[in-house]
Amino acid sequence: MASFQDIRRRIRSVKNTQQVTKAMKMISAVKLRKSQERLIALRPFAQKMREVSGAIVNRLKGAENLSGLQHPLLQAFLFPREEKSIHILLVASDKGLCGGYNANLLKKAHQFLDTLGTKTTSFDVVGKRSADWARKRKLHLRESYVQIPLQGLERVAQDVSRYAAQAYQDGQIDGLYMIYNHFYSAVNQEPRVVKLFPMEIETSTPKSVDPLLEPNPVVALETLLPKFVETEILSKLIESSASEHGARMAAMDKSTNNAGEVINKLTLTMNKIRQASITNQIIEIVSGANA
Amino acid sequence: MSTTTLHLEVITPQRTVLSAQVSDLQFPSLTKGYYGILPTHTPLMTPLNDGIIFFSIGNQKKMVTVFGGFAEVGPERVTILAQESETQEQIDFNAAELEYEQALKLLKDSPNEDSVRTAQTLLDRARIRMECSGRTHSR
Repeated sequence: MASFQDIRRRIRSVKNTQQVTKAMKMISAVKLRKSQERLIALRPFAQKMREVSGAIVNRLKGAENLSGLQHPLLQAFLFPREEKSIHILLVASDKGLCGGYNANLLKKAHQFLDTLGTKTTSFDVVGKRSADWARKRKLHLRESYVQIPLQGLERVAQDVSRYAAQAYQDGQIDGLYMIYNHFYSAVNQEPRVVKLFPMEIETSTPKSVDPLLEPNPVVALETLLPKFVETEILSKLIESSASEHGARMAAMDKSTNNAGEVINKLTLTMNKIRQASITNQIIEIVSGANA
Repeated sequence: MSTTTLHLEVITPQRTVLSAQVSDLQFPSLTKGYYGILPTHTPLMTPLNDGIIFFSIGNQKKMVTVFGGFAEVGPERVTILAQESETQEQIDFNAAELEYEQALKLLKDSPNEDSVRTAQTLLDRARIRMECSGRTHSR
């Protein structure tokens, strides 16, 4: 049986841990809010971007004798070729202590890789966890982005989309995928695999009048598509970041509660031991007096 | 929907910079100089040059800067997607002026063509922002 002193020490230690998890939870809550704000600010832009790109791509798909379609992204969207080699952007977190955030994501990535068969893959990874995972599996890694702050994600999106466009043109890759955690709410995230390009852009009902494309359709699309892909990547990166903080907040909230439970149990045991020793002493005194 | 105004929206990845009913506007197109848009304009999509978008709300003339923009014009609404954009009120003239001087210095000290190009872009940016803030001598 543990002594009174031992239990008191344990309670103190659990209390310290509880304070740490509580602090981490509050930090995550602040970071989550920041990511969420960024996500909300980006949403109208991303949505409009999708709309406009979709409208133009659809329009060009119907058109005939398109001359001068050299831009790689343009070809990718209009005439996708057979996928033999794909590039994957894998987004996990730098730090742990966030519940199943990384584990679920990497499991999903693993399943996805199993379905690919003979296709060759190359990777860009965001976050230390995914970098470690990819290295352990000796995957072909192009770039790993670690310790990227929220403001730095724009640069990452730019970099990846530029590389992908170039690599598509050079014939190194035939498609770009992204594996990330979709953000439903602060406590609900889901790992997802999405195809970034060539992708089907869902379009609203076609407008009655075809828009003019100035100076010409090709130039219009050439300037727009890279930005479209970039915006898609960026919004998903930010979603990942929001998911990470949400997951961590939930995990830390749970551990704070669990620590509270442990403390309650230990306090009960401690009180029992103290009571037992007091009862013992009383019995000794009483039997001594009776003698 | 009235045919005397159109809805102008300027959206960047950071925020919605502007959303207002305007009676007319002009934006800098990539290749063909300024486009003037009035209500019931035919649908049009075009990439924009870096520069200033002019528009009027009632009798008031206003402007916003636009960098890396793309315009979607419809009969009743115009949406500008821009990498960056600021309204007149958001521009810090002194900061823009400082940027201008720094860019000028960078341009003078530029060792190679690449850095000249960067400096020129910076210079243009600063000049556009100064112009838009409405405090330059040239306007």
